Amino acid sequence: MKEIVVASGKGGVGKTTVAASLAVFLAKTGTKIVAADADVDAPDLLLALGGGRTISSTEIEASEKATIDESKCTGCGDCVSACPFGAIVMDNHRPTVVRLMCEGCGVCKVVCPVDAVEVKKAVTGTLKIEDTKYGFPSVTGYLRPGEHNSGYLVASVKNSGRKTAEDLGAKALVVDAAPGIGCPVIASITGASYVIAVTEPTPAAKRDLERLVKVIKHFGVPVGVVINKANLSDDFRGVLEDWVKHELGYQILGEIPIDYEVVKALVKMVPVTEFNPNAEASKILTAIAKRVKDEVLP
Amino acid sequence: MKSGGGASAKLLRRKRVSVPVIAVTGGKGGTGKTTVAVNLAVGLSMKGSKVMLVDADVDGPCCAMLLGAELDAGEEVRMFKPVIDAAKCTKCGKCVDVCREHALVGLEGQVPSLFEELCSGCKACHLVCEVDAIKSGQKVLGTIYITDSNGIKLVVGELKPTEPRSPIVARATMLRAAEELEHDKYDVAIVDTAPGIHNVVAQALWEADLALAVTEPTPLGAHDLGFMLDLTEELGLPTEVILNKADIPGGLKDEVVKTSRDRGVGIVAEIPMDEELLRSYVSGEPLVRKSPKSPAGVALLALVPHIREMFVKGGET
Repeated sequence: MKEIVVASGKGGVGKTTVAASLAVFLAKTGTKIVAADADVDAPDLLLALGGGRTISSTEIEASEKATIDESKCTGCGDCVSACPFGAIVMDNHRPTVVRLMCEGCGVCKVVCPVDAVEVKKAVTGTLKIEDTKYGFPSVTGYLRPGEHNSGYLVASVKNSGRKTAEDLGAKALVVDAAPGIGCPVIASITGASYVIAVTEPTPAAKRDLERLVKVIKHFGVPVGVVINKANLSDDFRGVLEDWVKHELGYQILGEIPIDYEVVKALVKMVPVTEFNPNAEASKILTAIAKRVKDEVLP
Repeated sequence: MKSGGGASAKLLRRKRVSVPVIAVTGGKGGTGKTTVAVNLAVGLSMKGSKVMLVDADVDGPCCAMLLGAELDAGEEVRMFKPVIDAAKCTKCGKCVDVCREHALVGLEGQVPSLFEELCSGCKACHLVCEVDAIKSGQKVLGTIYITDSNGIKLVVGELKPTEPRSPIVARATMLRAAEELEHDKYDVAIVDTAPGIHNVVAQALWEADLALAVTEPTPLGAHDLGFMLDLTEELGLPTEVILNKADIPGGLKDEVVKTSRDRGVGIVAEIPMDEELLRSYVSGEPLVRKSPKSPAGVALLALVPHIREMFVKGGET
């Protein structure tokens, strides 16, 4: 089973559009697949696929949070000074844990002289498996707002995706990753067979790709680059192409022009390749999907 | 959902600084957070306000690029890491037991080994060791840059690639910015946050008096805006929505309008598509300075008096 991860350093460059068209292309050309949305902060893949029918929904308790027993607490404040995350504040002379900030490290429990702190499992988010209308299931993680450990939720999404794929005898797991380079992105890339790095011809997107590449190289995963909104800046497009080919030594899988059919398709919640297969963007997205299939799933 | 312990942030949020802080955020990536943050900072500065711009999108900080600012050598963000003195270690296993991240691993009778990428830097191991065999080492997680650009003080936090712990760098950036705000008399600070709703964003929103949630007219924009509003509600943070790419061909404003209305938040600006904005984005010259009369420039500048109302007492805004 191959894991194909669609990632980008910068947000909003078109990961979900690429992932949705790839997933539908593979399914329609006879490759059994499972899709996974690892962008647990902003899970949009299912929306791009027109929603789904829920098969299962599970709360994931990957976080731990400190709680303070008020009957034991003497208000000494040792936990407040020890907390490296600023997650315990004095409220009316009582140390109080701020859920949003607590990383569950438990150092407060270690320093508490009267054993008033307990560290308990807490809900990180929800994991749903849904059937899409394109004949493959999609696994989605929904992060509880403000939670830490989104990387653990991403790992749960990927593990569930892998298991679903195994059960179905699927050949590929198509993963839509979060933007950025931190914990959830590292968790998305871990174990990948291939990364599709999506970017656009702007200095900000190039710089964010440069940062992402440092992470991908660390894991030694092969990469293909997609340049989306390729005619956004014709001057910068050349700079980006040169840099990808010659500095990074990566192949460019395709360059997608700005095409408002993509926006219309998003509003209709249909992958653009299905919404209008003859749109400029659709033709290139299909060619990209075919190239990835030939390369990763020969 | 079940509570995992800990009180609501709404009642506990304490500002470290007295200056008004406006956080630009939004949930979905690529909606235009940095464009709004940078142009708002420049627009306020053009009106004579003393402005700090904080880039707390530590995974991909781009404010300096859009502002056309040069960054000098920065200050390293460091975190505690345990260094085990094998000669002193009694192999008691207390540090292994206390480490909730399972970053210290060792079988009974072995000196523990450290899996650095799992360590949260909490020091619990150092504190429980009875024979002082765990020394305080340090690792570098990222860099904070501070610079002046055309009268704007820019504070940038940057995560080192391959390091996972963005929230620690975001928090360090906010603390450093707060320290800098004490040094000089600022009128306002603008904070550009990461996309998403996890704790790296919460760290950046902690100091804020107002969140501007930037979104776009698609079901995806509306969907992710909903999650963002859940977070700002939990923080007790007043929030206003900015609709970017408002007139994108094929787009649909209705869903964003509906989400905002249902949640009782106002849409304070609609920024139209504008080729000038794109050119300014690529060239690193803020639009409100380069082309203040362009359609997007006008929409962005219209936000300036709205924000100035928060801190200008009387007189012209």
